[in-house]
Amino acid sequence: MSVSVTHIVDDDPAVRDALQWLLQSRGVSSQAWGGAEEFLSFAAGDLCGCVLLDVRMPGMSGIELFDRLRGLHCRLPVIFLTGHGDVPMAVQALKDGAFDFIEKPYDDNALVDKVLAAIAHDAKRSVRDGSIQLLQQKLTQLTRREQEIMQLILAGKLNKVIADELGIAMRTVEVHRSRIFEKMQVRSAVELSQRLSLLGESPED
Amino acid sequence: MGPPTPSPSGERTSRWRWLWILPRLAFVLFVGGVALLLWMSDRTDKEERRATLISDILWLEQNLRFHLTRNEELLGRIDSAHTASPAAFESFARTVFGFESGLRQLIWLGPDGTVLLAHPTTMDPSLVGDAEEAIPSRQAFLLARSLAKPVYSKPYPYFTNDWQFEVHVPVSREGRIVGVTVGVYRIRDLLSDSVPWWLAERYRISVIGDSGKVLGSRSKVESAVTEEGYQVSFDPPGWGLALHAVPYHAPRPLASIALSASLVILALIVLWSLWILRRHVLRRQAVEEQLRQEHAFRKAMEDSLDTGMRARNMEGEIIYVNPAFCRMVGFSAAELIGRRPPMPYWADDHLDETRSIHDRILAGKGPEEGFELKLKRGNGEVIDVLIHEAPLIDAHGQQSGWMGSMVDITERKLAEERARRQQERLQSTARLVAMGEMASSIAHELNQPLAAISSYCTGAANLLRNQAAATEIVPALDKAVAQAQRAGQVIRRIYGLARHGENRLERVHLAAHIDAALGLMEADIRQKGIRVTLDLAPQAIVEGDPVLLEQALLNLLRNAVESMRDTAPDQRKINIVLSCTDGYVVLTVADRGCGIDAGVADKLFDPLFTTKAEGMGMGLAICRSVVENHRGRLSFEANPGGGTVFRILLPMSPE
Repeated sequence: MSVSVTHIVDDDPAVRDALQWLLQSRGVSSQAWGGAEEFLSFAAGDLCGCVLLDVRMPGMSGIELFDRLRGLHCRLPVIFLTGHGDVPMAVQALKDGAFDFIEKPYDDNALVDKVLAAIAHDAKRSVRDGSIQLLQQKLTQLTRREQEIMQLILAGKLNKVIADELGIAMRTVEVHRSRIFEKMQVRSAVELSQRLSLLGESPED
Repeated sequence: MGPPTPSPSGERTSRWRWLWILPRLAFVLFVGGVALLLWMSDRTDKEERRATLISDILWLEQNLRFHLTRNEELLGRIDSAHTASPAAFESFARTVFGFESGLRQLIWLGPDGTVLLAHPTTMDPSLVGDAEEAIPSRQAFLLARSLAKPVYSKPYPYFTNDWQFEVHVPVSREGRIVGVTVGVYRIRDLLSDSVPWWLAERYRISVIGDSGKVLGSRSKVESAVTEEGYQVSFDPPGWGLALHAVPYHAPRPLASIALSASLVILALIVLWSLWILRRHVLRRQAVEEQLRQEHAFRKAMEDSLDTGMRARNMEGEIIYVNPAFCRMVGFSAAELIGRRPPMPYWADDHLDETRSIHDRILAGKGPEEGFELKLKRGNGEVIDVLIHEAPLIDAHGQQSGWMGSMVDITERKLAEERARRQQERLQSTARLVAMGEMASSIAHELNQPLAAISSYCTGAANLLRNQAAATEIVPALDKAVAQAQRAGQVIRRIYGLARHGENRLERVHLAAHIDAALGLMEADIRQKGIRVTLDLAPQAIVEGDPVLLEQALLNLLRNAVESMRDTAPDQRKINIVLSCTDGYVVLTVADRGCGIDAGVADKLFDPLFTTKAEGMGMGLAICRSVVENHRGRLSFEANPGGGTVFRILLPMSPE
């Protein structure tokens, strides 16, 4: 897990510089990129923070860059900077999963507030991403039999019923059950169920 | 077009047949009547002649009887002195002969029947000698002596051709027969002596014996007899003799012949003329039928035309319209024919124009390629028509009027107008889009430095609130200043763009450019029916950019034209005056449009301010910018008669 950085992508050096200065005045660390291609060559899946993206740029446009980032599984929240005429485009981007957009000319401190919100959102996401990763690691430690029995436990069945269904001794079920709880680091079936529900709400990928 | 009349020709021919029967009947009656008349007159004539014949012959018979009776008396008067000597007897005979008695011989017989005296003395002694023996004479003598009355003998032939008869008159003295006087009549001589000439002229008179033999006649040889004669008994002398008269073939009176002939000729003439008349009428009928068909065909053609046709005589009076014309103008033919200008279908708004075209056509100066006109229909609707006029030449080759064909082009004009509007809208939209594009690009260019400035300043303010050191803030503020300068450069560049680069200065003849601008607007001006009056001073010359100045003029003109959209067409007028005063050129453009509200007067020259639905609000702004670039002034005021006057004041070019 790395430090949160706000990535500024704008073709106008003055705007880049001014935004960096603005963010810095509120204690937000930032990195400026002169164009979409430049940022794309750097971007990777494990970045933290957010992206401030100018919609209108020579070469690759902001929207295009946004699509490419999603293609790279980069989940950084994206805030679009738009001119007056680009609002419909930005709204569409918002529907496609952008974090927010802000119309030029903007209230600078409001912009910084949005950036901070995006960073917080990203942090939360990366924490959740971390626990899911851990959970998945734990699931891989289970044997096939243990996974099978775990599904039946999650379905709320008693040990006796499970033993009958699988045609094994109740004693054996109890041993499996305690091994599952140990591997998943939970103390009860309810806790197991809560942990696994995280997986259900995570985005499909 | 009315419903087809059911076979008028058939009905007509039957009527014609009836008409023809009458003269034929009259002719037959006439001929019959004439023939009857002739026949009857002929018959009457005949009867009349027959009656005349009868009366004539009766008269003749009486005459003869009287003659013979007188002769009897004369013969009976003979006395002894007469018979004393042959000389006395001769003188007596001569006396008797002298009365045209018809007697040829006188014989004195003794009481025993002997011939005592005779005059002329017996030319034929045998006869005298035989007289006693001859049967007729002897019998007559005996009968006369015994009866003591005159007795006629039977006729007897004398030589070969002639016949004679005798009268025996007994002479008694003192109761005793002393002798018998015998008078010998030769029938032919009797007739020639006692038949008057006028009777002989008319009839052949003959005496016929009882056997039907002609005993003597008086006749003209040369004339033939044709008709039946009439006969009466000739008594005395009796013995079955008869008087027979046959009229000569009298030539019929010339007048009657002439009358009959003239009647016949008249009848022939009537017949001939009837025949000629009939032939003529038949020919006429055929021609009429042909003409009717021709007319029906032409009428059908004219009725089915979509093109309106109208004929006028030389005075401009309508003499013919076809149904298409009536449909177009919405008046019936009866309402139009005979009308003189102004016509009921002339549009009220274009009366003068229509009348002038009308007059030009009548003067033979109409446009040959046709002309467009607005007409008013019967229901008040106004239509556009295209009219072609051609001289109407009659059968004698004389021009008798004008023939006009008319096509309704309202739809076409509307379509053209729609297309033109569409085009205008498209152009205007394209201009707007281009301008929007430009504005958007300008906005972006200005947004960038402004955004940067704003960010620098906000950042600086943030730091200052946290009591940061001035040295930390100054570089940001410097950068902000640089961005502000950058924005200024953008604006300057745009301004330069609007100024159309470098001003090209040259001497500009404004009058020529006004003409050029009017030329560009001409289609619009004519389409809206605007009258333009010009008063241009040719010496009005300014120094400037001709393209920009013309653009300014064009904008003013366009505003003037468009301001009169709701003005009545006959009020649409633009007055352009170009004059020179005190080193300035003054150009006024006065329209009769909607004028300028007090509320918008202040904003009138602002860019992007517009009162027009499709305007961009650049026209007057450009005008003012151009005029002011040329050190001039643009102003406006209300036109006293309604509308607006725009005034441009420009310094005159030196020299």
